Amino acid sequence: MSRRAAALVAGVVIVLALVPVVLGTYQTQLLTYGLTLAIAALGFNLLLGYTGLLSFGHSAFLGTGAYTVALMMRYLGVSSLELFILGGVVSSAALAALLGVVCVRHTRIFFAILTLALSQVLWTLAYKFFWITGGTDGLRVPFSQLTLLGGLINFPGADAFARFITYYYYYVLVLFCVCTALMWLIVNSPFGKTLQAIRDNETRARFLGVRIWRYRWLAFLVSGIFTGLAGILWVPLNGLVTPDVLYWPQSGKIVFFAVLGGFRNFAGPIVGAVIFNYLEVYAVAVTQYWQITLGVILIVLVTFLPAGIVGTAERLRARLKKKRAEQFS
Amino acid sequence: MEIVALQILNSLFYAAVLFLIAAGLSLIFGVMGIVNMAHGMFYALGAYVAAWSVGVAGSALAPAALFIFLPLAAVAVGVIGLAIESTLIRPFYRRPEEYQLLVTFGLLLVLEDVIRLVWGGTPLTASALVDSLGLVQIGGLPYPVYNILMIGVGVIAAAGIWAFVYRTKFGVLLRATAQDRRMAAALGIDVGRIYVLAFGLGCFMAGLAGAIVVPTQAAVLGMGVEVLVIAFVVVVIGGLGSLEGALVGALIVSALRTITIQFWEEIELAALYLIAAIVLLIRPTGLFGRKT
Amino acid sequence: MDKEKLEERRGFLKQFGATLGAAGLGAAGVGSAHAQAKPKGNIPDRPVKVGHITFLTGPAELLGGPGQRGHILAQEEINAQGGLLGKRKIETIFADEAAGTDANVKELRRMKLSENIGLFTGVISSGNTPALGPVAEELKLLTLFNDGCTDFLFDKAVPNPKYTFRVTNIQSADGITAAIGAATHWPKARRVASIQPDYSYGRNVFEHFVLALGKLLPGTEVVSESWPKLFSTDFTPHITKILAAKPDVLVVGLWGGDYVAFYKQALRYGLFDKMKVATTLAFGGSPQAIGKDHPDGVLAGVHANYHFLYPSAERWPINKSFVERYHKRWKEYPSFEADGAYVALYLYKQAVEKANQLLGGWPEDEAIIAMLEGAGINSPAGYLYIRADNHQGYKDAVTGLSKRLPGYDFPVWDPASIVSIPIRSITAPPNWPKPGQGHNESTAAADWIKKTWPAARSA
Repeated sequence: MSRRAAALVAGVVIVLALVPVVLGTYQTQLLTYGLTLAIAALGFNLLLGYTGLLSFGHSAFLGTGAYTVALMMRYLGVSSLELFILGGVVSSAALAALLGVVCVRHTRIFFAILTLALSQVLWTLAYKFFWITGGTDGLRVPFSQLTLLGGLINFPGADAFARFITYYYYYVLVLFCVCTALMWLIVNSPFGKTLQAIRDNETRARFLGVRIWRYRWLAFLVSGIFTGLAGILWVPLNGLVTPDVLYWPQSGKIVFFAVLGGFRNFAGPIVGAVIFNYLEVYAVAVTQYWQITLGVILIVLVTFLPAGIVGTAERLRARLKKKRAEQFS
Repeated sequence: MEIVALQILNSLFYAAVLFLIAAGLSLIFGVMGIVNMAHGMFYALGAYVAAWSVGVAGSALAPAALFIFLPLAAVAVGVIGLAIESTLIRPFYRRPEEYQLLVTFGLLLVLEDVIRLVWGGTPLTASALVDSLGLVQIGGLPYPVYNILMIGVGVIAAAGIWAFVYRTKFGVLLRATAQDRRMAAALGIDVGRIYVLAFGLGCFMAGLAGAIVVPTQAAVLGMGVEVLVIAFVVVVIGGLGSLEGALVGALIVSALRTITIQFWEEIELAALYLIAAIVLLIRPTGLFGRKT
Repeated sequence: MDKEKLEERRGFLKQFGATLGAAGLGAAGVGSAHAQAKPKGNIPDRPVKVGHITFLTGPAELLGGPGQRGHILAQEEINAQGGLLGKRKIETIFADEAAGTDANVKELRRMKLSENIGLFTGVISSGNTPALGPVAEELKLLTLFNDGCTDFLFDKAVPNPKYTFRVTNIQSADGITAAIGAATHWPKARRVASIQPDYSYGRNVFEHFVLALGKLLPGTEVVSESWPKLFSTDFTPHITKILAAKPDVLVVGLWGGDYVAFYKQALRYGLFDKMKVATTLAFGGSPQAIGKDHPDGVLAGVHANYHFLYPSAERWPINKSFVERYHKRWKEYPSFEADGAYVALYLYKQAVEKANQLLGGWPEDEAIIAMLEGAGINSPAGYLYIRADNHQGYKDAVTGLSKRLPGYDFPVWDPASIVSIPIRSITAPPNWPKPGQGHNESTAAADWIKKTWPAARSA
C-alpha cells in the first residue's frame, strides 16, 4: 500500500474513532449499523468482485449469524459476545461449507438462482419452525443481557442504552478494522490473485493447473464467515431477529451496496454499505414512496455510474491525473 | 371423490396462470438473455388494469361484454413493456448480467410504488365476470364455469404460443436469435426488433395471466413480488428459455402446491424451494432447458 | 329473530354478562367541546412532535390507512382548540410500517433521538409491537400503541412496562369473542374447521377460539386446519379442502386483502351455504373495502374492538358525533383502527391536562404516565380503561353478524345480532401468572380459561 493510501486509511480510522465523541448516540448507532453492513459487503464482494460469482442468497449467512446468537441466548443462556461470535462463526462456516459444495459447481445465472433458492429454504425453515425460532415474532436479543470482553463490560441500569451504544460502537469498529485488514491481506495474497485469475478467464486458469472448484469453494467459505459475522454483530443492535433477515430482498440489498460503491475495487462495497444504510433510513423517514426512491436510485446508478461511487471517483481521479500529466509533458 | 376432481381443476387453473407468467419469463430470457426481475410486476399491472377497466365500464356494459377487457389489459401491459424495453432495458444489452439483474430489480421497486400511486391501497376486484358465467355441479359440489373457461384459455394460449414459435416465420426468427444472436444478426435479422417484440410478448403474457386471475381473486399490492419467486421456481424446474419447460414446470409446481395444502400444509413452501434446489443440482438447466 | 330464540340466547350470554343488541350510556368524552379547566402555570408554545408508524403501503394498508386518518382527525381537532393545554400544537411524523421490523426499529430511534418526538403512536402488526416496545422503553419514550395486540408484548417482551401502553384490546380476546359470537348464534355447532394466516396472529386466534368454543359448546372437534401464508391471494385449494371436511362452523382469521379474496372465492364454491362462518377481522379494515356481494349472516369480527354502528348513535352520542366528523373529513366510515388512533391522542391529551391541573406547567413523562395508569376515557366504542399493572387497554368486546342494510354501500352489522361482552369476562385478571411462571401456555388468557371456565354440559 502506498504511503498516501496508508495515510488516508489512518485518517479514516481516526475520524471513525471520534464519532461517538462528536456526534450523538443516534448517529453513532446508525453508523454502527453501517459498519456491520460493511463487513457483510466485504464478505460478499470476495465472491462478486474477486471471484466473479454473483450470489443472491447472502442473506442466508446474515440470518445464520443472527439466529445463532438469538438461539444461544435463549436456549443456552449465553450472554458473552465473544462466545456468540465463536458460535456464529462456526455455524456460518458450516453452512457456507455445505452450501458451497452445492453451489460452486455452477456459475453465473445458475449460481445466483441456486443461492437464492437455498436461502429461501432457510427462510421457510425459520418461518415454519416457529416453536424454535419464534416464527414471524422472532427472538429477542436484549442488549441488557449482553456482556463484552468476557464479562468485563455489561449494561445494567437506567442509562444503559447510551452506554451500550458507545461501547458497542468501539467493539464493532475494532472488528471492522480487523476484518478489513484481513480481507485486504486475503485479496492481495496468492490465493486472492488466483481467484481473480479464475474470474478473468476460467479456461486459462484451468490450463494453468488451478483447481477451480476448490478455490471457489474456499472463497465461498470465507465470504460466508465474514457475512455471518456481520449478522452476529447486527443482532444485538437490532434487539430482535425475525425471518425477514433471511428473506431474499435482503440479499438484494447486499448486492445493491456492492454495486452502489462499486464492486470492482476493494473499498467500494464498504462505502456502498455505509451510504446505503443512511439512504434507507432517510428514504423511509422522508417519504411514503421509499420503494420508488430506492428503485430510481438503483436504476440511475446502474445506468450512469456502473462503476459505483468509489469506482467513478477513482476514474475521475485517474482522468485528472492524466490531464495534469499531459499538461506537464 | 368429487373433491379430487375439484382439486385437479384448481390445480389446472393455477397451472394455466403460472404457465403464462413462466413462459413469458422464459421467452425473454431465451431470446434476450435477460432475467427480468420485474416480470411479476407486469402480472400485477395486468390484474390492476383489467380490474380497473371492468370497474369503470361495469355499469355500462353487459357482463359478457366485459370479457373484452381481459385481452385488452394484456395488450396494454404488452405496450407498457415495449415502452419500458426501449427506455430502460435496451441500454443494458451489452452490459454484464449483474447490471441487467439490478436494473430490473430497480424497476420492480419503482413499479410497486407506481401501482400504489395510481390505484391506491384498496384491492380491486372484477368478480362480475366470474358471476356472469355461473356454476357447474361436479359431483354435487359447485365449481365456477369461469375457471374451466380459463383453463381452456390457458390451453389455447399454450398451443398458440407453440404454434407461433414453431410454425411461423417470426417464430423462426425468434428461435434463431435465441440460439445465436451474432449469427442471426450476420444473416441480416434485425435483432433489435426481435428483442423488442420478444420483451413485449413476454410482458403481454404476464399481463394476460394477471387479467385472467383477477376476477377470481383481487388485485392487491404486493402481488407482483409474491408471484415472482414462484415463477422463478417454475422456470428453474422447467428450464430457463424453454416453453415446454414452462408448461411442465407450471403443472408440477401447481400439483405440488395443491397436494401439500391438502395433506401436509406445513411443508408447502419448503417443498417448493427444495425441489427447485434439487433440480438445480441434478440438472441445472432444468428439465427442458438448453445450456446457454 | 323470534322471541323464544332471543330469550335462549340472552340466557346463554348471562353467564358472561354479555348482552345481545345492547345499549351503552351517554357522557361527554372525546371530541366534545365540554368546558376544559384552565391550564395552570407556564406552558411553552413549541409544538409537541408525535411519531406514528403504520401501514401506508401493501395489503395491510386497509388497516393502516384508517388508523392514520383517525390520528390526523384527532390532531386537527386538538390543534383547532389551540393544541395541548391550549398552547402546544401537535405535529406528527408518519413512517411506513411496511418497511419492515428492522427499518421500523431504526426509524423509531431516529424519531426520538434525532427528531425529539415526545410521544409515539401507531403500529398495527403484532410482529412489530414486541420489537418496538422494548426499544421505546430503552429510549424512555412515552408510547401508546394503537394495535399490534399480541399478548406477547406484555406477557414476555415488556413484562413490566413503564413507558409503553396499548389502547386496543388484547389479541386473545379476539378468538374468544368470535367463539362467544359463534356459540350465541349457532349453539348447535360441533364440527369446527379453521383457516388462519400462518403467523402468530392466526395461531393465537385458532388456539383461543377452539379453547373457548370447547368450553362453551359440548363435544366440539376440529375437523380441518388450513394455514395459508399471510398475504396469499389464492385460497381455492384451502376452500376445497374445507368443503370436503363438512364442518358446522369455519373460523377465519384472515384480514384485509386476504379476507376480500377469500370471501369472493368462497362465495363461488357455495361455502357460505354449507357452513357458518365466524371471523375475527372481516370488518377490520375500511368498511368500504367489503363489497355488496358479501353474504349476510357471517360473524364479522372487528378485532373485538369497534364497529361504527355500535353503540348506536342515539344511545351513545359520542359515537354518533365521532362517526359524523370522521365521515365529513374523510368521506368514509371509521374502522376500529381509526377509533384506536383517535382515542390514543385524546387519552394523551386527557393525561396531560390532569397532570397539569395537579402540578402546573408542562408535565414530565412520569406525571403523564401516572395519569395514564388506571385512566378511563369515554370513547366512541364505549368506556376504555387502562389497567395500571400492565398498561393494557380494556374495553368491552363486540362482534355481530353481517347484513346489507339500506343506506350503506357496503355490508354492516345486523343491529339485533350484535353481541357485546364485558372485557373482564374474557381476559385474564390482574396478577394472573404470565407464561413461564408456573405454566407453559402461550398466553395468560389461555391458562386462565383452562383453569377457571366450566366446561359445557351436554345438551
